[in-house]
Amino acid sequence: MSQIKQPGSLLLLGVNHTTAPIDVRERLAIPISRLADATRTLAHQPGVREAMILSTCNRVELLTVQDDAQPVATTTLGLLNFLHDYLSLPAAEVRPHVYEFREREAIRHLFRVASSLDSMVVGEPQILGQVKESWNVAREVGAVSSMLDPLLQRAFSVAKRVRTETHIGSSSVSIASVAAELARKIFGSLAGKTVLIVGAGKMSDLAARHLIQQGATTLLVSNRTEARAEKIADSLRTPAITTGVIPFEQLHEQSHRADIVITSTGAGQVFTTEHARALLHRRRNRPVFFIDIAVPRDVAPEINKLEGCFVYDMDDLQQVAAQNQAVRSREAEAAETIVTKEVARYTDRLSRAPAIAAIKVLQLSAETIRQQELARTAARLAAQPLTPEQQAAIESLTKSLTAKLLHSQLAALRAEITPVDREE
Amino acid sequence: MQNDILDIRVFLAAKYIAMSLLWLRVAVVLYGIAAFAVLPAALYNRPRWRHVALPAALAGAFFHFVSITETLYAAHRALPVDTHETLSMLGLLLATAFLVLTARYKTVSFGIFLLPVVVLMTIVPAFRPGHETIAYPFIRTGWLLLHVALLLAAYAALFLSLIASLLYLIQERRLKQKLTTQKRSWLPPLETTDQIALKALLFGLPCMTAGLLIGSVVALQTIGPTFFADPKVLLSLAMWIAYMLMIFIRQHSGLRGRRAVYLSSFVFLVVLAVWSANALSAVHRFRAP
Repeated sequence: MSQIKQPGSLLLLGVNHTTAPIDVRERLAIPISRLADATRTLAHQPGVREAMILSTCNRVELLTVQDDAQPVATTTLGLLNFLHDYLSLPAAEVRPHVYEFREREAIRHLFRVASSLDSMVVGEPQILGQVKESWNVAREVGAVSSMLDPLLQRAFSVAKRVRTETHIGSSSVSIASVAAELARKIFGSLAGKTVLIVGAGKMSDLAARHLIQQGATTLLVSNRTEARAEKIADSLRTPAITTGVIPFEQLHEQSHRADIVITSTGAGQVFTTEHARALLHRRRNRPVFFIDIAVPRDVAPEINKLEGCFVYDMDDLQQVAAQNQAVRSREAEAAETIVTKEVARYTDRLSRAPAIAAIKVLQLSAETIRQQELARTAARLAAQPLTPEQQAAIESLTKSLTAKLLHSQLAALRAEITPVDREE
Repeated sequence: MQNDILDIRVFLAAKYIAMSLLWLRVAVVLYGIAAFAVLPAALYNRPRWRHVALPAALAGAFFHFVSITETLYAAHRALPVDTHETLSMLGLLLATAFLVLTARYKTVSFGIFLLPVVVLMTIVPAFRPGHETIAYPFIRTGWLLLHVALLLAAYAALFLSLIASLLYLIQERRLKQKLTTQKRSWLPPLETTDQIALKALLFGLPCMTAGLLIGSVVALQTIGPTFFADPKVLLSLAMWIAYMLMIFIRQHSGLRGRRAVYLSSFVFLVVLAVWSANALSAVHRFRAP
């Protein structure tokens, strides 16, 4: 009779942006090129049955399944020693920043991380891809199997459920992404659109990059210092992006070429209502979007009243970002509820897993014995083979006997399983 | 023997009409479901409701098509005669327009306006069908079918353009007032609605031109030049001029937003006037007395 394998205990050890400063996270970070080797090494640590490492810019986490025989303190120490040996980082230096989750809490933490509830920007979509990447690496090196594999698959489906049932990731929360989102509301796809940057500044540069990411293909730069404009254009030029410089004195004559104008000169009233009217006339009333991130403002607020002109200044963008952040916070509460329910469901299933496995083993073992006895009897009666009717009668008899003998044990085991699982 | 054949024909025609009414009622129910489901799908961004709205609208359009085909087959003619049938056919065209827009632009927002109109256009013929018969034998010709179908397509295109312009206006106002929270993300981007409005008009113009030309040629051959002094015909000419002017203005001055809505609404009123001018027309009547 085969033995039922003990499931092992789940241990998650890690640091993230809330527990460790960036210099500690930097030293703990494991680049993707070394992830396979690190995972393999971790999986071969004493007492570790399964392992996965998640390493991103905001977190490093070691998810392991430990032998049940291992004392609790030893397991934690073992993982800290791994960090020490593998990354040459003293355990004492890391220890104060490390959080540790076991069993149910580890499952909960994993579900929250995959669902982007533990991220620096709650709802950001990259984390799920990073968890999947770590899982793929761990699978490739054979570090995950019967316990971590289903757990991670469950984490992915929980994350998917959170994405589809809440709006946690549907609104932008940074100024640059809000600007890009507004541009999409005006132009739909930004493919083929032209962005004009007036003035130089980090924020305008960031906003332009976001717009380029969304599909804008032409970038024009205008600055009082032409060399500076050239430098910005060069920094944003790629094979897919056409860039150009508009001399500042020709700004009003040429600004109609742009669908989106980002201004950050701070010189005040670079665009007046008259300029905007002329611009609209040249564009034959095609909409134009002014993103004014300068203080004092570069774009006259009255321009927003002109049909086809949309003006958003820094305050407007921040207001939208704040509204979106509030939406995310509300959605995060709904997402937490989903995670809590999913954790309960998963741990419940885990707690019943030994009983289910025992039933399977018991049934398999009984069936094996029954088949062996039938074969032995058939060999004994080889000289006088049974008729098909007799064979069927013996089959039925042995099955009935086996079922009756196992009944009390199976009933006791089944009592531990809820009706839902019996249906499964 | 001849009487028997006649009886069988009458029986079959009655059966077809009864079946066509049944299919039309099924279509109304399905359109109703779609019109209801499109609200949470578009307004609250609930994808599950989208999976209800689209199949219901598609199935509704299918049963609607079957119903119209059976009606015309039973009546041994190829085009709608009374107001109810015409409304029903226009409803089918609008439902088709909604499905095409959804497939092309991946937005169900137009359904908020189009589907209730489709329901209204089909609910009357489904539960109170018209009983007019036709007086003219030429009405069975394919040319008149083309005349009616093309004009209905032009009306549907104009209605669609009006809705697109309205959506443009709502989205423009929201962006100008900086009310850009998630709740109203159902509105398509401005450029998309503008494209839809213009493309619908550009589709409608050749339909209207060809429809009116065919109608005029057929009228000239059957009724004679007096047809052109009829108020209905004169209004139709005014409608065509207004339609063409609207496209010209939109194309050449880039008219959008509020003024585009006003212009579309004006042309739509002209279309309604042309439609209702049947009551004044002495010659554009095809019902048997």
